[in-house]
Amino acid sequence: MSPLTIIFLLPLLTALVLALIPRNFRFSIRGLALLAGLVSMLIAVHAFCKFDGQASPSGFRFEERHAWAPGAGISYHVGADGLNLGLILMGAVVLFAALCVSWRIHTREKEYYILLLLMGGGILGAFASLDLFFFYILHELALVPAFILIGVWGVGKDKNYAAYQITLYLSLGALLVLAGLLAVYLQMPGASRTFDIVELTRYFSAHPMQSGAEHWIFPLLLIGFGILVSLYPFHTWAPLGYGTAPTGAAMIHAGVLKKFGLYGLLRIALPLMPDEAQRWALIIAALGLGNVVLCGAVAMRQRELNMLLGNSSVAHVGFAFLGIASMSLIGFTGAVVVMVAHGFLAALNYALSGYLREELKTLDMDQMGGLLSRLPFIGTVMIMAMMAACGLPGFAGFFGETLVFFGSWHRSEVVTVLAIWGALIVAGVYMLRAIRSIWHGDKQWPGLSDVTNPWRRLPYGLLLAALLVFGCFPRLLTDNIKASVTPVARLMGEEIAGGGSVLKVYGLNSFSPRHPVEDNASGAAVPGGPHR
Amino acid sequence: MHEPLHWLILFLPLLAAMVITLFLQRYPRCSAALSVGAVLASFLLSVGVLAEFLDGRAPDIALTWLQVGSLQIQFGLHFDALSALMLLVVTGVGSVIHIYSVGYMRGDPHYARFFAEMSLFTFSMLGIVVSNNFFQMFVFWELVGLSSYLLIGFWYQRPSAADAAKKAFLTNRLGDVGFLIGIVLAWAVTGTLSFAGMKDQLLRDPTLFNTTATVVGLLIFCGAVGKSAQFPLHVWLPDAMEGPTPVSALIHAATMVAAGVYMLCRVFFIFTHHDLLVIAWIGGITALLSALIAVQQDDIKRILAYSTLSQLGYMVMAVGFSAPPAAMFHLTTHAFFKALLFLGAGSVIHALSQEQNIWQMGRLRSKMPLTYWTFLAGTLALCGLWPLSGAFSKDAILAAAWEHNKALFALGELVAFLTTFYMFRLFFVVFLGKPKSDLVGHAHESPRIMTYPLVFLAAASVVGGFMGITQFITPQFSPASARLPIFAPLEPFETSPVAALLGLAAIAIGFVAAYVYYAGAESDPLPGKMKEVCNVLRHKFYFDEFYAGLVDVCQDKPARAINLCDIGLKLLVRLTHGTAEWTGRVLRLVQTGNLQTYTLLLAAGAALVLYFMLTR
Amino acid sequence: MTPVGLQHYLVVSVLLFCLGLLGVLVRRNVLVIYMSLELMLNAANLALTAFSRFNNNLDGQIIVFFIITVAASEVAVGLALIVALYRRRHTTHVEDMTALKN
Repeated sequence: MSPLTIIFLLPLLTALVLALIPRNFRFSIRGLALLAGLVSMLIAVHAFCKFDGQASPSGFRFEERHAWAPGAGISYHVGADGLNLGLILMGAVVLFAALCVSWRIHTREKEYYILLLLMGGGILGAFASLDLFFFYILHELALVPAFILIGVWGVGKDKNYAAYQITLYLSLGALLVLAGLLAVYLQMPGASRTFDIVELTRYFSAHPMQSGAEHWIFPLLLIGFGILVSLYPFHTWAPLGYGTAPTGAAMIHAGVLKKFGLYGLLRIALPLMPDEAQRWALIIAALGLGNVVLCGAVAMRQRELNMLLGNSSVAHVGFAFLGIASMSLIGFTGAVVVMVAHGFLAALNYALSGYLREELKTLDMDQMGGLLSRLPFIGTVMIMAMMAACGLPGFAGFFGETLVFFGSWHRSEVVTVLAIWGALIVAGVYMLRAIRSIWHGDKQWPGLSDVTNPWRRLPYGLLLAALLVFGCFPRLLTDNIKASVTPVARLMGEEIAGGGSVLKVYGLNSFSPRHPVEDNASGAAVPGGPHR
Repeated sequence: MHEPLHWLILFLPLLAAMVITLFLQRYPRCSAALSVGAVLASFLLSVGVLAEFLDGRAPDIALTWLQVGSLQIQFGLHFDALSALMLLVVTGVGSVIHIYSVGYMRGDPHYARFFAEMSLFTFSMLGIVVSNNFFQMFVFWELVGLSSYLLIGFWYQRPSAADAAKKAFLTNRLGDVGFLIGIVLAWAVTGTLSFAGMKDQLLRDPTLFNTTATVVGLLIFCGAVGKSAQFPLHVWLPDAMEGPTPVSALIHAATMVAAGVYMLCRVFFIFTHHDLLVIAWIGGITALLSALIAVQQDDIKRILAYSTLSQLGYMVMAVGFSAPPAAMFHLTTHAFFKALLFLGAGSVIHALSQEQNIWQMGRLRSKMPLTYWTFLAGTLALCGLWPLSGAFSKDAILAAAWEHNKALFALGELVAFLTTFYMFRLFFVVFLGKPKSDLVGHAHESPRIMTYPLVFLAAASVVGGFMGITQFITPQFSPASARLPIFAPLEPFETSPVAALLGLAAIAIGFVAAYVYYAGAESDPLPGKMKEVCNVLRHKFYFDEFYAGLVDVCQDKPARAINLCDIGLKLLVRLTHGTAEWTGRVLRLVQTGNLQTYTLLLAAGAALVLYFMLTR
Repeated sequence: MTPVGLQHYLVVSVLLFCLGLLGVLVRRNVLVIYMSLELMLNAANLALTAFSRFNNNLDGQIIVFFIITVAASEVAVGLALIVALYRRRHTTHVEDMTALKN
């Protein structure tokens, strides 16, 4: 059985098992949920280390395929390449961390863990699926628990509105996506119709879609996926939804679930409709810039920490959109790195703000200040996370963002300059102001307690370590990603020298040493470089 | 040396920072020992690198950090005369200041954190020095900004320190925006990020950048403007004095702020003559503005901070005159005497229970003889009195000015006069004259762990001019030039007698003026004589007020407007929600809840259906 | 006297149905409405049986058996609900039961 199947099926099955345990066995419920998360995470880490994109001709590893409804062209098909490998690893880590930080939940524990596991397992399955049917259904499975999680365990007076808004808004997005995916499906001739993504890609690269169909299918998918990722004018659900959601749900939703739309764009919309994507590039870039600059400016005005983090998270996915809009290898790679990095980062930030909310009973930044002396651990980690959010090197996001800048320069200098401004200045302003008003200062806080138990520190440490590892050794991600996005970039008309990925990683790799090492130590220009 | 040893230069301080943060938070003595040990070891290894370089065996090490398509980013160690010199300055002065901090910070509740952050800074600074490409330099550029932020805000409980840290970071970031855009642009044209690769391409084809040449240079210069606190981004440096004094000495005087100058020398090949003119004028303006402001400051550390600004202006000006060796020379000597002055000021502040106002001091000569003598040596070196180190480096810059630009030469001489004036004002008021507060009575000399570093730095400041630094650096920038003699005590007077003699005259006038006004003064006599001028100087030419207004207009007001738009969007979403809700309410009127109404409707409906079916 | 034919059965069935419908529409007491409902069901039963008898087809009678069974269980559930409602509201009038909640 493919490890991918275990990674996402384990949480889902554990959710079923939990449903059978009486609710007063609280220790067993939490223990079992944690165990499932841990095992799933360890398998994901193992798979990440064992990954070798060259091993199979299709570029996918850990493939598993069973016919399921052959008449309709549906099969159970999972597999990983550079595009979703990092996302699966990130999702599994975030799921485990989200389960860990939920120890303060005491009301209806059983249902809480069941829903959290459903949400995490569902989205991991959606990332692993190479069949549109499961891709879509498993994402829907992950969407629904958010409604209950926010409605029941949410915080704040707006929680009911937030629960309805996030669910309905995202369902609308998912509906548009569904329409688009069905339209793509129907574009194939009757006999060979299939939901298999690999076969779809192969078919449409041989028989480009009629431009009449492209004209309306691509926008449908763009807006649908865009709503799921909070693309600029459709972003208002995100800050409020995350702000009111219970910590664990906010972590999984903001960290993992949100990446589904971007993943869908890169996996489905772009490879199937490259010409139309090119035509929309500037619009995508403009909207992404809206995320980066406008939502960044909105974040500056927030006085509630969770609203600030929500807007900041919306601003960050803008970089992924800019990377996609660059329609270039560097930009795509950067976009995927941003997706993975932001998953860890958003989860970490919400985990920390959740802790603060429990301790302080408020997240109003005007009432905070001087907390660093009372909460040295949480404070240090959060300052690091906030620094990561304003694009500091050493954290994974930095490489993603700079790759996006390098990639998008040749498409539009103005966009790049504005994006750099958004990354360095706008993000810097709101994050530093937040650090100043929350952690620095001379206010006294008797009666607060920091996290001192090493086990309780584990989830924060795990997420931070992930950010740092990928920030210091970006090739762990980029070498796999670029191999997988190279075909997409080729479809966009970019000429890319060399075919394979470089798999020598800092000498300490568990990656295969079989492959020739590509070493341009001279730093000379690579032919087919930036075209202007 | 083996290759791993070269890596250790860079990574020992990082290792120290990590170990202290993770394991040694509760063991202040161990963490201090570890941090000092790491920087000392780096220093010794740097000496090894110097030896290797003199033998011509310095290695170039490069790993591929990232490679995507045509973008290749390396992580490398590059050793040449420039980086070897800078390595020695950073680790050498760094070691001295680390040792001094052991005494200065004693008793602070966050002793371990201090040393962790100092080590982090050392790591980042060394990273800039050994970079072999733009990207790596930018990475460490940002990390240096981070460590500076952490150390300025070391006493984060003080609102002023927290604000200063934020201001420093954001102002630096403004420069970094230009720097990063410049890097991306340079890459887009040349297709490489490495210094050597880009230099080769420019040598092969000087018109490579054609129309963008000047723009690239200016954008990259932006980075230096931020980090080296040049006009118009100079406002953060004086505020940065909120950090502990050793931090001010190491980061905001000796090394980090010099990173901008180092970077300009490193990428000197990229600048066109238009760029150089701009660079020279920016340096000159900074030097003059900050020297003027320094004349009317009362805080001992702020005076030194403005003096640092003005000396950095000199260095940047030197780069603008195509004289990077002079800039690097002044950078080195300035690192010695400015670190010395800051540590001396720290010793005074330590003795006076954290008092920083010079008008609360006085007659410290007898109380603190060692501090007094070393401070005097530093002051004279800063003023540029022959044969102390400052004379040689400053004269090299003034000589270059005399050759290139007479207006800037005059400006440079004026700054030399102002420097002597404000430094001796400080010196007279603090160490001579009458005691101006009770604090002076309790003052006592600092412990030996603090005074020995002073003595060491004083010695370096005195003999720094004879170390042959220009001779060491020059071949890298003009390989064809004749080999200069290593020991040349009269060199300034031989190469450019006008500059040297005018410089000495400026010092003399400055000293006399300071003596007339400030020897034995109880309070500042100048505001009484020139009220308006002094007011402007005391308010630092109103830069802070101007920028506050600018930030409000350019950032906070638009942000408010954008936030309003966002609220509008939220209302739109609420509108769809409201529409659905109202439609529901209207339709609900049909639903009375009365069973019999429903039944009647049902029956009527059924009858209607029947009627239509039967009559058709 | 003419023999009793299909027409007669159907007329009786329609009358029964209309009586039941009238009862449902105008009576206020839930119990009575319930009985009227049963009347309507039985009207349908009667029609089905008659058709079955006169068309020589047993299908109709089978359906009648189904209806009787379902009606029996329905009565059980319905009466239980009515009793429960009465206990809670102390009324069996339909006008007093217009909302699902409270």
